[in-house]
Amino acid sequence: MSAAASPLSTTADLLVCDQLGVGVPGRPLLATVHTQFVPGRVTAILGPNGAGKSTLLSMLSGQRTPRSGRVRLAGKPLPGWSALALARQRAVLPQETAVAFDFTVQEVVEMGRFPHRQHPSRHEARIVREALASTGVAHLAGRSVNTLSGGERARAHLARALAQIWEPLPGGAARWLLLDEPTAALDLAHQHQTMALVRRWAVEQGVGVVAVLHDLNLALRYAHGVVLLGQGRCEAGPTAQTLTPAAIARVWGVACTEVRASDGVPQFLVAGAAAPGLPSKFE
Amino acid sequence: MSGVAVALPGARWTVGRLSPRAALTMGAMLVLLAFVWASTQGAYAIAPAQLWQVLLQAVGAAPSAEQAPEYLVFINIRLPRLLMGVAAGAGLGLAGALMQGLFRNPLADPGLIGVSSGAALAAALTIVLGSYWLPDLPRTLGSWALVGMAFGGGLLVTALIYALAQADGGTRMGLMLLAGVAVNALALAGLGYLNFISTDEQLRNLQMWLLGSLGGARWSAVALVGSIVAVACGLGLALARSLNAIALGEAQAALLGVPVERTKRLAVLVTALAVGAVTAATGIIGFIGLVAPHWVRLVAGPDHRVVLPGSALLGAALVLAADGVARTIVQPAELPLGVLTAFIGVPLFLAMLRQFRSKV
Amino acid sequence: MWHDGLNDAVRRQLLRGMAALPLLSAAGARRAAAASPARIVSLGGALTEVVYLLGAQGQLVGTDTTSLFPEAAQRTAKVGYMRQLSAEGLLSLKPDAVVGTTEAGPPVVLDQVRSAGVRVELVQADHTWDEVQRKVATVGRVAGREREARALQASLDAQWVAVQKVVAATTRRPRALFILSHSGSPMVAGTGTAADALIRFAGATNAITQFAGYRPLTAEAMASAAPEVLLNSTQGIEALGGEAAFWQRPELALTPAFRRKALVAMEASHLLGFGPRLPAAVRELHTRMQAITA
Repeated sequence: MSAAASPLSTTADLLVCDQLGVGVPGRPLLATVHTQFVPGRVTAILGPNGAGKSTLLSMLSGQRTPRSGRVRLAGKPLPGWSALALARQRAVLPQETAVAFDFTVQEVVEMGRFPHRQHPSRHEARIVREALASTGVAHLAGRSVNTLSGGERARAHLARALAQIWEPLPGGAARWLLLDEPTAALDLAHQHQTMALVRRWAVEQGVGVVAVLHDLNLALRYAHGVVLLGQGRCEAGPTAQTLTPAAIARVWGVACTEVRASDGVPQFLVAGAAAPGLPSKFE
Repeated sequence: MSGVAVALPGARWTVGRLSPRAALTMGAMLVLLAFVWASTQGAYAIAPAQLWQVLLQAVGAAPSAEQAPEYLVFINIRLPRLLMGVAAGAGLGLAGALMQGLFRNPLADPGLIGVSSGAALAAALTIVLGSYWLPDLPRTLGSWALVGMAFGGGLLVTALIYALAQADGGTRMGLMLLAGVAVNALALAGLGYLNFISTDEQLRNLQMWLLGSLGGARWSAVALVGSIVAVACGLGLALARSLNAIALGEAQAALLGVPVERTKRLAVLVTALAVGAVTAATGIIGFIGLVAPHWVRLVAGPDHRVVLPGSALLGAALVLAADGVARTIVQPAELPLGVLTAFIGVPLFLAMLRQFRSKV
Repeated sequence: MWHDGLNDAVRRQLLRGMAALPLLSAAGARRAAAASPARIVSLGGALTEVVYLLGAQGQLVGTDTTSLFPEAAQRTAKVGYMRQLSAEGLLSLKPDAVVGTTEAGPPVVLDQVRSAGVRVELVQADHTWDEVQRKVATVGRVAGREREARALQASLDAQWVAVQKVVAATTRRPRALFILSHSGSPMVAGTGTAADALIRFAGATNAITQFAGYRPLTAEAMASAAPEVLLNSTQGIEALGGEAAFWQRPELALTPAFRRKALVAMEASHLLGFGPRLPAAVRELHTRMQAITA
């Protein structure tokens, strides 16, 4: 796919998957991904369990080596980047983070500033404060992170990821936010607040956001584009064109109908299994 | 961020903690107090007035034509022992904090990487077999041979455990733990065998060495151990922010740009150096590396920028205090320091286990 | 070797002070003996016994934990176990001299004591009659009682010669085995031990010749060693709960000694102390072994 780039970034500033073989060594190949992510937009990675969503994200972040093919950031393959340079440019939010010892939420968010310790900003304290406020955990700053609920912990770690790439880079290179199921532990209101927040970052600050999502409707509402994994195939493109009932039926095996929410955004109502022989509702 | 300040101005801490500056100041004061108290303690009675005279003579502010016995006792016996205590406590405390940060577990201890058992095995080899191979070694050189062998043994066993922990291009802490258990057991077996073939005299010498003691600390040993511990502290303190990030997990830390493998390597090396030097000179002194970082965390939080220096300071104070008791409680004889720290440390360790039982 | 001074000035001071010591000690020893007798710390039961025999107990300011005979020695200040001494502890007794065997240590502590001007004399322990002679001579020298020491030496030598004659006169040489402790397998004395020397002095043969030092012995090995008489210390028998409990040990049942219940138990420091009581110990051991294996 090559969608229109956001006016805040150059086309050279892409996160490119070049014939990327997604899979774990020793198991069959899940999919071959050949696409590029554009900064200033939110791209959702969707698919059923085991389709390789988290694996793909870990290859995008450089945590995992590809089985075949390469990932390039700003034209340079990932292995060519130093860990510190990568960390200044892209932040990763994993599904689960267990924190050893009784660090407070504020201390955890400060850990996100590690890549900048050689050249600290003039506003380190303010960055941490504002990052805490942006995900709504400022009132928990002094609490030990292990005593929080799942949702509060998730928001604390999101604040850490945001703090990591808070300030624009010298030279104007695009920053990237890679999120692995950022809404899994959140309640309804916080799911939407979080997705709205990252979409704002993308649109207003030109950050490239790539998020693994489970909820199709969140993707429909907040993602500019999707990467659809499943059945050994990879489909990538703008949300409206790629995430169709036919595609959903093919990948998930469920039938769905499109409806419009009260603000006009298209959403899907899922009707259950579409494959023949399967009951349409639970007996 | 180069500063140590963690608290935001006006922030309300739900978790009650000392600020880093307050905690480290308190630690330094504890060391000072312990040092002053310990310098007045000893089997040889030195009145405070006499002590003051000795100090004046030492800095050349008083005539020292006549070497009073108090002067010799304090300068040649008590003072080097106090300084060795500071070095030993600082080295053990720092190493304990490093290991707990590396293993991401508050129950970790420098012994996990085999330094103590390696030093003990090498010391046993020297005591038991050394008399066969080098029977005519002059006594002083012989005691230095023991120190050198113990230091080398500690480093060697640590290197072995470190090598066994290498997998998939990196150091796996879980492997290191298991390798440590296995190699420690092997060293213990070796020690048992050496116990078996040793003569009565060698056995007693070995057992006494194992119990740990600051007795026999001399200026040359203090200089050597002190400089090694100083270097270890310098290297170790630089790892503070990396260890903080490693608390998120090694994968996350790597994604934050932490040089995880290099941090692990350096932490293991610093621990081996500090604990190896201390153990070689004093035998096995336990529980300082376990207890000091725990107390610092209780009072000042888990930020390694406070825990690392704080553990060194608290460790030094603890060793000074314990040794002060060890050399006066059964005077004119002396209790082995390792026995005393175990008596204090085991109940504390059990209390910690109770506190952490839900998290282990 | 490292010189452990604080700095140059202090080191020079120490050297000056210590250079004067040999002059002081040689000339002053005789003067000191006449003026004020040397304060002595004794490390080792045998050496302490010699101190009392020479009448120098008034000079004794401290002893180690093995100095239990005579009973008065138990009331002196105890400096701890001889292998793990404390420098300050020793010096706090303000001794002029420390006597011990070469087993005393750690060496660094003894060096520190020496550098404080205390005379440290160590006797080589090699389980011979010479060892006893050396102990008597050393204590005599250090306590300034050479005359008494020579007299004691002569008397002990005479006792020794007499005992040796008695032992040589008997023709029967029983096989003996010394048991140190009974935890699990019994620890027995092989060659090179004080017990081995005692057995030979008393005209018996050590049933164990295959190893040196103290080793645990299995029941079968005990049976094949076939000792005719077993030796133990009275403290060891007490620790087991008496002679009856001792003979209940299964590994002893296969030995020739078991049939006649041939056990000789003597007080530990008397039996193995290698001190002035050695001739008496050898005589008693010899007599009892001959009697019990007759």
